[in-house]
Amino acid sequence: MREMAKLEAVEKEKEILIEPMTRIEGHLGIHAKADVSKRIYADAHSFATMFRGFEIILKGREPADAIWITQRICGVCPVPHAVASAQTIDMTYKVTPPPMATALRNLVHLAEQLYDSPLGCIILEGSDYSQALVEKFNPEWWREAQKRKAERVDVHGYATIADIMTALNPLTGSLWLRALEVAKLGRDMAALFGAKHPHVQTFLPGGVANAVTVGALETYVAMLARQIAFSKEFIPIFDDLLDFLVSVGYEKSGARPAHFISYGANDDPEAYDAKYENMSGWGEKRKVTPGVIINGEVVTNDLVEINVGVREFVDHSFYKRYYAGWEQQIPRVKKDPLGNNIAKEHPWNKETVPEPGPMKAWESKYSWATSPRWHDWRNRVGGNITVVEAGPIARMWITAKSGKVPESTGRSLKFSIPKATVAGYKVAEETEFEWKIPAKPNTVERIRARAYYHAYSAYVALNQLLSVMQLVKQGKTEVWKSYRRPRDGLGVGLTEAMRGGLAHWCVMRDGKVNSYQVITPSAWNSGPRDDEGQPGPYEEAIIGTPVTEASEPSGWQGVDIVRVVRSFDPCLGCTVHIHVGGRTVLQEIPV
Amino acid sequence: MVKADRIHLIWLQGQGCTGCTVSLTSAAYPSLVDLLTGFIPQASGITLDYHLTLQVTWGGETTKVLKFAEEGNLDPFVLALEGAVPDENLASKTGGHWCVLGEDGEQFVTVSDWVNRLSRKTAAAVAIGTCASFGGIPHGHPNPTGSKGLMDFLGRDWKSSLGLPVISMPGCPVPGQSLVEILAQLVLAVRGYMPLPELDEYHRPKSLFDTLVHESCPKAGYYAGGKDAHVFGELGCLGLLGCKGIITHCSLAKDGAECTQHGAPCIGCAEPSFPDPPMSPFLDKAPVMPYVTDTVHGVIGHVRAGLHRLTRRPW
Repeated sequence: MREMAKLEAVEKEKEILIEPMTRIEGHLGIHAKADVSKRIYADAHSFATMFRGFEIILKGREPADAIWITQRICGVCPVPHAVASAQTIDMTYKVTPPPMATALRNLVHLAEQLYDSPLGCIILEGSDYSQALVEKFNPEWWREAQKRKAERVDVHGYATIADIMTALNPLTGSLWLRALEVAKLGRDMAALFGAKHPHVQTFLPGGVANAVTVGALETYVAMLARQIAFSKEFIPIFDDLLDFLVSVGYEKSGARPAHFISYGANDDPEAYDAKYENMSGWGEKRKVTPGVIINGEVVTNDLVEINVGVREFVDHSFYKRYYAGWEQQIPRVKKDPLGNNIAKEHPWNKETVPEPGPMKAWESKYSWATSPRWHDWRNRVGGNITVVEAGPIARMWITAKSGKVPESTGRSLKFSIPKATVAGYKVAEETEFEWKIPAKPNTVERIRARAYYHAYSAYVALNQLLSVMQLVKQGKTEVWKSYRRPRDGLGVGLTEAMRGGLAHWCVMRDGKVNSYQVITPSAWNSGPRDDEGQPGPYEEAIIGTPVTEASEPSGWQGVDIVRVVRSFDPCLGCTVHIHVGGRTVLQEIPV
Repeated sequence: MVKADRIHLIWLQGQGCTGCTVSLTSAAYPSLVDLLTGFIPQASGITLDYHLTLQVTWGGETTKVLKFAEEGNLDPFVLALEGAVPDENLASKTGGHWCVLGEDGEQFVTVSDWVNRLSRKTAAAVAIGTCASFGGIPHGHPNPTGSKGLMDFLGRDWKSSLGLPVISMPGCPVPGQSLVEILAQLVLAVRGYMPLPELDEYHRPKSLFDTLVHESCPKAGYYAGGKDAHVFGELGCLGLLGCKGIITHCSLAKDGAECTQHGAPCIGCAEPSFPDPPMSPFLDKAPVMPYVTDTVHGVIGHVRAGLHRLTRRPW
């Protein structure tokens, strides 16, 4: 009897281990269990498998060096690290960059988003919906796709959904090859003001290194026109493809509750002064609105409140629990410069000791990623610690809902990108886009938001260019403000990478880095269970995802798992960077 | 000379950031796609068999490729490593790993293991970027994971099955164009169409790394004329703002050193000591001695050239 029960259990459950996860940045594995009879994934663990130790390496260095070093956390999205780090050091050194510097940092940042969106949607995620993979794993979709007319064929030229899928084939598909070109163009735009990309060279405390020239601005505009032309095809193509996936029932894949975090991005050059005391004010003026959303509703748009609510748990990560035994220690930062209490699990107080341990220990420690969470410390919606998701869907949702920018309607984000006549593209005319808040975050909607963010980035870049021209006209061409490094300092830099909210925290003592902490978007998303046992967003999104593979359960390869995970656009280099520190007595910083 | 119709490329990622992969996709003439589709018949037949960021498959399916290669079924293959190799002995003290890449059976395999296993069969080994060449950021003080570059990990005397040492392609990231150029040259060389790249003491191709950033800097004329930038954004030599171009060999140098061209001081990201002194603190000035030597050579050169200008052209 016992033998039979065991056999039955084997048939009911299919265990899948995906290691390495591919077509992402970095080293990630996924462990999942499928309920065979219901054909859904019932359990999942996400684990990061590589550690370097950036924050140990940063300790004791000149804080400004973090601007160059932290970019090397990730070669796919280095510019947000440069922005976050430069802002962290601006604040730590108490230097306000001139408006032109902020505008140029924005242009570099936006250029990177223009590269990263097609890279994510087409090269990394798109292959999952290419003819090569769909025909293999979902033959019934493929048969349907060959019959299904593409609704927006007059804009993009692909007659059927199958044509789009064929265009997504790696190395041979027309869309795949074009995406490579457009991505390169975005990085060339970043290099115009960043000197090179990956790892831009021009960001400094107090500004940027490169003088602005009319020639470089015009080159940027001309390149932007090509991005705009691409956007007008790219979004309709993805709308057609994603609408098709919804029509075959794929909206159930990767669904989780609408809890989001975004720090916002792209500061108003005249408003940004790098002062913590004014952060709520300049934060709200960003072209991408900062905010936290719980159950689809905005909890706050205040960057100070968002910062103070960040928690980083390590119960299931290969690190020592730095907040255990807290009572015997003196916190490094008790209060922020506005007098708000800073929790022991806040990055300003983090002290992490790596403890590499056995893998697949799902009940204890199993990942190099940590579990960042957001605490509703002002008790606006119950005072809970919530698993929030970061990414373009979070940015679009928060910006659309909050009404802080003119493009926000409360239900959608509506904007037009201008006329751009570029050879090889079908549409030259001005085009209006409206991204509508979906019912739920899921695999399909994450990808859609990433595609729309390409157009929104192009739109914001164009507006930034107009303000740069205005600054040039006014003679405000100064790009750097000289500074004197104070002895001690405290800083935070909050911005957005393509894959979501990215923040850096610095504590400076005697002119050196006492502590430098980074929480990346993929830490928010890929992290393991937290101390309360709540699964991270990847894990949560996999649980409940239907298995669509046509083969017998024994042959399941987890294509639906990789689709869910890739919809978050993972960036694991970013996620695992944590530092070591052996001290038990933390010093308090006067703030 | 090898008469292989197919040459397999296995691109492993260790402790890296994928920046060199991103950089690789920016090569223009030839591009990555040109390389993989065979831009000239003599360089055709290159297949990218393993690359985490670009390949279609995932999980166990991908790891099969490494097993095939290890068993000699992907002959010949070139091993490209992006990222540094950590010292797993340090991690195993507490029963863990620093960097894992797939499973062999039910056992996780570290990247250090794969490098060791594949190094026995590979036709050539290329270290992509500063991390793979010299350890880069992961080996920055205090080198928490005991990271090394490929040349030090395998040993300076290590030779591939074709008798080649590790080829180092530093740069953070390595410029995509330099990389595609060398990969294509390797393929053409093993097929007998071109000479193998000549290497320097750090196993860098001399053709790309024999020049200091300072020597071919677009701002070299300002330096020679004594015009220095004292604040960022000012036109002039960036030496007083922390530029390390005078001690940095970089494959971008001959292409116009785009960092200094854009007013950003060189931080020495292609050199073995990066990110430690003398490259950092990045905004500190470079050591004085290279400038002294440079000035002496400069004075001698200016005087010699001045005298030459007084003579008639001989042809």
